Amino acid sequence: MSFFYTSIKPNISFLVLLHMTQQDIQHLYWRAGFGLTPKQYALKTQDNRDTIIDGLFKASEITTMLDIDTSDFEELLTPALAKDAAKRKLIRQISTKKLKTYNRLWLNRLETSNQILREKMTLFWANHFVCRDNNILFVKTFNNTLRAHALGNFGDFVKAISKEAAMLKYLNNKQNRKLKPNENFARELMELFMLGEGHYTERDIKESARAFTGYNHTVKGQFVLRKRQHDYGIKTFFRNTGRFSGDDIIDIILQQKQCARFICQSIYKYFVNETINTERLEELATVFFKDYNIENLMRHLFMSDWFYSEENIGVKIKSPIELLIGIGKTVPIKFNDEKDQLKIQKLLGQILLNPPNVAGWKGGKNWIDSNTLMLRLKLPSILLANAHISIKEKGEFEDSFDIYNYRKRPSRFANVSVDWNNFEEQFSGYSSQELKTFLMASKLNKGTENYLETLNKSSHMELCVQLMSLPEYQMC
Amino acid sequence: MDRRHFLKQSTLASSLFFVPNFVKAFENIAPSSLGYKRLVMIQLSGGNDGLNTIIPFNNDIYYRNRPSISISKNDVLKASDELGFHKSLLPLKKLFDDGHLTIINNVGYPNPNRSHFRATDIWQTASDSNQYLQTGWIGRYLDHFGTKPYNAIEIDDSLSLALKGQQINGIAAKNPQILYRTSQDPYFKNVLKYYEDEHLSEHNLGYLYKTMIAAESSAKYIFEKHKGSETSQDYPNNEFAKQLRTTSRLIKSGIETKVFYASLGGFDTHAGQLNSQSRLLKVYAEGIEAFIKDLKQQGTFKDTLIVTFSEFGRRVKQNAANGTDHGAASNVFVIGDQLKTAGFYNDLASLRDLDSNGDLKYTIDFRSIYATILNTWLAAEDHTILNKTFPKLNFI
Repeated sequence: MSFFYTSIKPNISFLVLLHMTQQDIQHLYWRAGFGLTPKQYALKTQDNRDTIIDGLFKASEITTMLDIDTSDFEELLTPALAKDAAKRKLIRQISTKKLKTYNRLWLNRLETSNQILREKMTLFWANHFVCRDNNILFVKTFNNTLRAHALGNFGDFVKAISKEAAMLKYLNNKQNRKLKPNENFARELMELFMLGEGHYTERDIKESARAFTGYNHTVKGQFVLRKRQHDYGIKTFFRNTGRFSGDDIIDIILQQKQCARFICQSIYKYFVNETINTERLEELATVFFKDYNIENLMRHLFMSDWFYSEENIGVKIKSPIELLIGIGKTVPIKFNDEKDQLKIQKLLGQILLNPPNVAGWKGGKNWIDSNTLMLRLKLPSILLANAHISIKEKGEFEDSFDIYNYRKRPSRFANVSVDWNNFEEQFSGYSSQELKTFLMASKLNKGTENYLETLNKSSHMELCVQLMSLPEYQMC
Repeated sequence: MDRRHFLKQSTLASSLFFVPNFVKAFENIAPSSLGYKRLVMIQLSGGNDGLNTIIPFNNDIYYRNRPSISISKNDVLKASDELGFHKSLLPLKKLFDDGHLTIINNVGYPNPNRSHFRATDIWQTASDSNQYLQTGWIGRYLDHFGTKPYNAIEIDDSLSLALKGQQINGIAAKNPQILYRTSQDPYFKNVLKYYEDEHLSEHNLGYLYKTMIAAESSAKYIFEKHKGSETSQDYPNNEFAKQLRTTSRLIKSGIETKVFYASLGGFDTHAGQLNSQSRLLKVYAEGIEAFIKDLKQQGTFKDTLIVTFSEFGRRVKQNAANGTDHGAASNVFVIGDQLKTAGFYNDLASLRDLDSNGDLKYTIDFRSIYATILNTWLAAEDHTILNKTFPKLNFI
């Protein structure tokens, strides 16, 4: 473990000495990504913490946009559209179809991308700057804005978000006009995006809403400021007075440490622990407040000893997407029908691109009710083994026919192809104990562990399904 | 424990020794026959057009605004001098005539939201229009008065926000048999058998185990109740009627469920409204007709209150595609045997005085309906559940 790393500021000369245990590495990759494969793990066992974390950031230096061809769709987007109901209907239909595909592409990206951290951050920000829209072009642009700024400067990020067509629609800011202000965006900017409830007044909302008047977008989603609808008058906002623009308002909010604290609170809950440690939170907020550089903040977090302390490991309930992607990382699954993927997301309560409301998914225990939990526990066996979880005890006759069935039987619930060969190849050198350590982030309940001991361990495939079907596998 | 309370308890305890056999016999009788009141909530998803459901057939403004999709006077099943039912709703008209139906007009809330998702959340959480609650009103009812997930059942595959509480959630049981089979996997049963409850209860993992145990026993309980209770009533062959049939079987079984939640979707009639709404209302009305007959036969109708709502009504003025766009206030149907104000609870709001979007203005807050139901029907403290006091209505 780390003996020398104590200062808050990363000190390069010390970092060389920081060793990472297997648990540390798995923990890091569960939080910064969606877990890792044995191959990926094997490459890191000899590395120090700084090397591993450097590698994590290096891999995310570039941004690979998530693309979908919208050219035919864009051709239909002309100003004449406003008068053409039939064309609008056609556009809606194309868009709905493409949104489903985009959902699948995003899922696939999460599972396969090398830019692990950037993608995890993108998912995080999608639940911070919550937005939904039915225009595939706007959705794509918005999604890639999240991706591009995911590790950048938070101030630039908010300014970009305020000018996104999808957001202008979602929070009604395009209806915000000088003579008829709409406060929705200004309110959420402070309540959900930058400060949190209770850190602003109704007057702050009114004044800042004026600064965002005239914001609009072209039919193809380009931001435009409609000057005649913009209020160029003097506004008083957080004790500042001036002819503020929307960007100015964002800059003024950034001057408050509460903004850094508010963001760090979400970061802490998402990446570390749902229970906030106020000392750690203040430490993060101080780092972030300096320059609002998201990459620096995340680097500080992952380099901190306390990130790897026992109380933070395996204590988070996986989101449905984390669960689904995590299973796929261990045993590659290919969905042959994109409807099945959507069905699973819906039943588990998290459909990408489709947040429930502006506040987003609440996470944690809120993922869990009787129905979602039963499906979560059943999901590995449904996807991988036609809903069968072996309970053969030690010494029971091993049936090669069962194994054959594991591979061949198609699932009735979802049309999937499962790549068990890949799994077996990756885990070929692993003992049962090692497989267990590798798959489970959380400590097993004593009784559950004892029960598992009584079961037949001859097949890694069966053991994998057994492990993934435990409540403990729901944790990361 | 105060003295009086203690005395009451001890008398109760000692008297248990002398329980006569005829009282014991009651144990096998469904709680329903002993006055176990239940609520069935039905959501018409998509935003049902209230004006073409209960039609103001003497109103020129209505006909002027809907040149191609109004319901002509001759097709209306007249219920008053001003208002009448859509012809698909004949069974509802009969309930109306029998005094089993109250229609509450212009139900809504201040600053109405016109997004399906958001408006549904508002109705399900009983929030203000700018307030985001993470628990549903039935979920909060469970928090205070429930002990088991099955105290509130949604007849669906997944659970709506309405049934999610802070401490306890309802359970979704579209098909009790499938739910049961899922919960009875021998592997899970063994895991639960061997599970050791050591200091886990306050952590997330402990919460998962606890939920797993509750899910298993709830699924089993619901399955057994459902299995032991058949109905001879014929229901139409569609998903909505199936939901009601399942509900009826569960009610008959004497299950300890206070709230059932069902829904019928497809009401988002932006285009070609006449046919699609007519078909959907028919599905709704025929389902309800069979359901009420069934409840009457079982003798549970007097203890069952059925409330139908939609997340919003639709615009007064039709659009260019022979449909209507998202609107605001609309009507709520209350069906029951013990209605105080059967018939029309109030008049339809003025079609002359619309809001800035051209939608009906609300005159009754939907949360007043919830408050009345919670207080009068479910004997619960409505203001703890709704976080506010709303004026009660006089329909039950």
